[in-house]
Amino acid sequence: MISDAKQPQQVQAQPERGSGKAPVPIWLFILLFLLLYWGMVYFDLRGGWFDPRVYAPYHTFAQVETWQPVSGAAGLFSQGKAVYNKPTCVACHQADGNGVPNLNPPLVGSEWVNEPEPGRVIRIALNGLTGPITVKNQPFNGNMVPWKDTLTDDEIAAVLTYIRQNREWGNHAPEVTPERVKAVREKLKSRSTPFTPDELKQIPASD
Amino acid sequence: MNFGPFIFLAAFFGLACSWFGMVLTPQIQIGRLQQTNTVPAGAVYPVARPGLARQGLSVYRANGCAYCHSQQVSQSGTVCDLVLTDVGTNETALLVALRKIRPAFSEAEDRELMVGLPKTVRQGIPKEEAEAEAKLIGATGAKASSWIIPVGPDIARGWGIRRTVAEDFLFDYPVMPGSQRVGPDLANVGVRRPDMNWQLQHLYAPRIEVKDSPMPPYRFLFEKHRIEHGPSSVALALPPALAPEPGYEILPKPEAVALATYLTSLRANEPLFVSPVSVAEPKTPATNNPANSSVGAEATNAPSSK
Repeated sequence: MISDAKQPQQVQAQPERGSGKAPVPIWLFILLFLLLYWGMVYFDLRGGWFDPRVYAPYHTFAQVETWQPVSGAAGLFSQGKAVYNKPTCVACHQADGNGVPNLNPPLVGSEWVNEPEPGRVIRIALNGLTGPITVKNQPFNGNMVPWKDTLTDDEIAAVLTYIRQNREWGNHAPEVTPERVKAVREKLKSRSTPFTPDELKQIPASD
Repeated sequence: MNFGPFIFLAAFFGLACSWFGMVLTPQIQIGRLQQTNTVPAGAVYPVARPGLARQGLSVYRANGCAYCHSQQVSQSGTVCDLVLTDVGTNETALLVALRKIRPAFSEAEDRELMVGLPKTVRQGIPKEEAEAEAKLIGATGAKASSWIIPVGPDIARGWGIRRTVAEDFLFDYPVMPGSQRVGPDLANVGVRRPDMNWQLQHLYAPRIEVKDSPMPPYRFLFEKHRIEHGPSSVALALPPALAPEPGYEILPKPEAVALATYLTSLRANEPLFVSPVSVAEPKTPATNNPANSSVGAEATNAPSSK
């Protein structure tokens, strides 16, 4: 006979005690948001935005620039930045060096700016430029004012060094020394008219 | 319930995050690093190590040197030194300017400053201050410039004049930056110890050169030879306690020569755009001769300080 005892006893399961629903405290959200905000600000100020040229202890590229030595070519560069934004060149070629399409040629990656020898670009800065010119395969036809009466040899050398060695623009041409500008200025003493691009092409760049 | 896809996605996401952070981002940042120029001299930096030194890098790697030596100098900040470079003609005006700049010093000390230029007027000051004072001195007809001096514990130890940057390793494969410092940092050991013989002796018996050095001797990089036709010019000059029996000499194997060449080629001290530092023109070309290198101090290139 089958005993009833072999039958499993039905045990009424007690309902499990739930944890209930407690609301997440609002201050936790505020704290997390504030922490996130602080982290973003900290990164923005000190992270250097993954720029490979920014190493600790510098936090931004601007800081690296200001810590450059003020003598020699690097000194010319930082002087040149000041001359560029005096405002001189910045008025037409813009602060980013890209110029204005169809109006003012770009300096960024320009084959005229990046020539290994600065002879022609010094002449352009001293006497100005007129007539149709092709820069980066874009035609331009405007006038550039001469700077020979406004800027000194040092300033022209500095500003040309600035546009030729501006790493942010990707320009890597050699520096322009004040002596070089002085030598070219001597040669152009009797000339007061601007150059035309065709005329410049006939002058050897090393002159 | 089937958690498969969820676990797969979570693992994929985790691995993708680390791949982005540790492989892709560095590749985008410095994957196309190229030779750069020193600032302001404009020399090309870095230049490839000589072939023997490149072989030495493999020896360095094979012998686990990187487990005890790092090759990365850190930098915690940058300060300026005000350096007088030219006295000019108006000495009286310069003295007045110097009085204003450093009232704590006597006039006799200021006069001392004018001999044997360039000399440091003030050390470790902020850049703006240094430039303002340089202008003050410049107004008297004299010339002063503010020099950029990196600071930090590693630099104070004489391990370098600036921080290590990615450019320093451009021609090394694989790079050996190391992570532990049982021994000193080697980023600039070629500047501190330019003498090949010193390096070889140190590899053979570190304690000849450095008292109580914990470095193990690497004698298997050397071999004992019988002197056949007169002693060799590259034989180690060892103290009597370590010298082999008469008639024999200790010669470095090619690996030892390569390793020593590699060590003397470690000179990451050029001023760069990414890590600016002012370096004095060497007064005499022979600043790196072995006689000077016996002193532990790094050639900091800083002018004599006052």
